Amino acid sequence: MERMNELRLHGRGGQGIVVAASIFAESVFLTGKYARAFSLFGAERRGAPVTAFIRVSERRLMPRSRIYSPDYIVILDATLNKNNLTAGITEKSIVIINAATEEENLRREIELKGATAVYTVNATAIAWKYNLTIGSFPLVNTVMLGSMVRVSGFSTLKNLYTAIRKRVSVSIEANLKASEEGFTSVKEVERVGT
Amino acid sequence: MTFELMSGNQAAATAVLKAGVDLIAAYPITPQTAIVEALANFAAKSQLKGEFVSVESEYSALSCCNGAAAAGARVFTATASHGLAYMHEMIHWCSGARLPVVMANVNRAIGAPWCLDPDQGDSLSQRDTGWVQIYCAGAQEVFDTILQAFVLAEEILLPCMVVFDGFYISHTYEVIDVPDNETVASFIGKPSFRGQVVPGSPANIHGLIPSESLHRHAERIHKDMISAGERFKKINDRFAAVFGRRYNCMETFIPRGAKNIIITAGAMAETIRWNLPGLPDTGLIQMRMFRPFPAEEIRVVIEELTIEKVIVIDRNCSAGAGGIIGQELKAALYGMERKPALVNLILAGGIDLTAEMLEKVSRLNVEKGTTSEKWGCDLS
Repeated sequence: MERMNELRLHGRGGQGIVVAASIFAESVFLTGKYARAFSLFGAERRGAPVTAFIRVSERRLMPRSRIYSPDYIVILDATLNKNNLTAGITEKSIVIINAATEEENLRREIELKGATAVYTVNATAIAWKYNLTIGSFPLVNTVMLGSMVRVSGFSTLKNLYTAIRKRVSVSIEANLKASEEGFTSVKEVERVGT
Repeated sequence: MTFELMSGNQAAATAVLKAGVDLIAAYPITPQTAIVEALANFAAKSQLKGEFVSVESEYSALSCCNGAAAAGARVFTATASHGLAYMHEMIHWCSGARLPVVMANVNRAIGAPWCLDPDQGDSLSQRDTGWVQIYCAGAQEVFDTILQAFVLAEEILLPCMVVFDGFYISHTYEVIDVPDNETVASFIGKPSFRGQVVPGSPANIHGLIPSESLHRHAERIHKDMISAGERFKKINDRFAAVFGRRYNCMETFIPRGAKNIIITAGAMAETIRWNLPGLPDTGLIQMRMFRPFPAEEIRVVIEELTIEKVIVIDRNCSAGAGGIIGQELKAALYGMERKPALVNLILAGGIDLTAEMLEKVSRLNVEKGTTSEKWGCDLS
């Protein structure tokens, strides 16, 4: 892999997106590549939109700008503003959606922008299954991480486990199982069509 | 040598832990908060040998550091934005009293209105306070520069501000080389300066003096500040011998035949380096040291390479004057026979520098010897 790859994550405050970005970067680093992850979260509020950016490369030097045309878009919450979710999608883009929420309209827009593939994973249900919640708020981050590793191939499940163990301090076993289920259950979906 | 993934804020805190500080006094503020959290954690786990003082404001934080440094302690504080502004009086006092305090400032815009993005106006508006200012382009530089800053500050008896961009560095997780404690200790040593006061022996210091004495005092500070550039080079030689990495007052990335040079400080430097191959005959000067300003070094590069256009990228604006680094550079070029064109790209508010802006600004035609100002919002 010579070129740099760019991932953009969309979620809400409380879903663990900032931690997820650092875990993914750690798992990529363990696989022998350079990674950088950073987040924009404005004021820190539960439910507020949060965007995280991850870059993966063989080389240390990477830009420090936001990501405008991502290779991968990871959507933790499909009810976020569609313009933000679909911004910069090109024919090289691959999109992974937490499909727990009604997402057909979103998928239609993603297809219209020409994304090469769309994957879905039922991350909210998996998070509930393993009791990964704060109050009634499901923590889908580790599920999505499993899916990201599977779809991108930038790391391995083993290295993801190591990164989760290093950066998560509670419910570690549940998070590992959730990430494994995110890895095994993420599926490329047929086009919705117009 | 251990490679670890950490954020810029964690890199700063880890460097401070390894530097063997005697005292830390700091107050949390976004986007610096994680530095204070990490240092408080080190203190709670007894990893920190020095004292961690919880204060109720930034003003108290620097006052506390000033007092401890006056007693000969190696001290550290960190802040950002409004916190730095709130320290302002003590910032002057610190350099006037010749106290080698080291501070990390994480760039963030100053209100009103509230904004969290990394406008550099917080640190640059403290440029005339007698502090050394060094800007970092990544977490490794943050770690390394904090170590260097203690050595430099204690050598010239002037405080040193290590500056890096909020979010683009403070909240970016990246891989850095974290040296072990012994290696750090072999470079940084024990505090090498004498305290001005001895606890238990009350003394009145920095009392009222006539202007003629203050005149001499100001001249000494000015000359010692100017000497910081040369001293920093020697410190870097020693740093390179221990750690295998070298930094200078400024870093140059200039391809053969370059006609344009971009000059900037901080995180934007790496975005520019990444984009350089696609820009027409363009090189980069990454300014690390802003005070003292490396005017002579920049002039030499521009003269020797017969640079035709200089593009200064300022993530700040001094209303009525323009970009602050741009202003300093215009002064540095004064008297040059062959003056290049100077374009000042202003990204005040802390907006993101994009590849599109770089492309457009590098293709601008500006007449030699003239200046031009562009705002980022007009280029995207």
